[in-house]
Amino acid sequence: MAATPRMELEKMSVEHLRGLKEQVDMEVNLLQDSLNNIRSANARLEIASVALHDLSVRPRGKKMLVPLTASLYVPGKLDDAEKVLVDVGTGYFIEKTMVEGKDYCERKIALLKSNYDQLLEVAAKKRSIADEAGAILQAKLKHLGPSQ
Amino acid sequence: MSAVKELTRDLENKANDFRKLEKDIQKNQQVKKKYTIQLGENELVLKELDLLNEDTNVYKLIGPVLVKQDLAEANANVRKRIEYISAELKRLDGTLQDLQEKLNSKQESIAKLQQRIQTLQAGKAKA
Repeated sequence: MAATPRMELEKMSVEHLRGLKEQVDMEVNLLQDSLNNIRSANARLEIASVALHDLSVRPRGKKMLVPLTASLYVPGKLDDAEKVLVDVGTGYFIEKTMVEGKDYCERKIALLKSNYDQLLEVAAKKRSIADEAGAILQAKLKHLGPSQ
Repeated sequence: MSAVKELTRDLENKANDFRKLEKDIQKNQQVKKKYTIQLGENELVLKELDLLNEDTNVYKLIGPVLVKQDLAEANANVRKRIEYISAELKRLDGTLQDLQEKLNSKQESIAKLQQRIQTLQAGKAKA
């Protein structure tokens, strides 16, 4: 698999190689950003999942503190924890049962994980191309150096 | 002498046109990216809505207000949005292709101009 692309890279001029390496490096950075975004989204979903689970074991009427802002809480009582409102995107919220809510979290986490794995593969391939291009570029520059 | 000047001015104009085309292409790609993200989000929402029973409650956030929506209406809205975004993406694709073609032909005419200028200047140097 490494043979054919490497030969193509060898054929390119130094200019061309440098440009290509820059482009692929940029792509790798973009992919890395996406990977980080997925990781943080996954973390948020895990927190939501844990919170849901916690809610489900609390009895109805349990006293709790309800956040109104980031620093303001008011005392309240837990109402029906059997129903939850799920934010599914584009401003839509769906009323689900606790079980469905947990299921939703798990589905999203699984989806994100598979996206993450796919991206990881693509990023690895791009990175290896960037490394190869870099190595060949160095070799060529060394080659040209002494003759000048 | 003036022939070279004219050609150089023409070259500058063409170079400006080229840069403008590049900027237009960049803008086009940014808009396409935004729409693609929206399309993905809407399709996720549609999938969720499809999984629901008819009697499930659906709400839409309109500003600070959470408004109860009819499931059929929500479905229809999301579908229409998906249709609209897909159509926009297709249109943008066409525009992008158009811009790319213009960019390529502009590049060719710039190269040809540069050659002419070079030959003229070389000819003058000899004379």
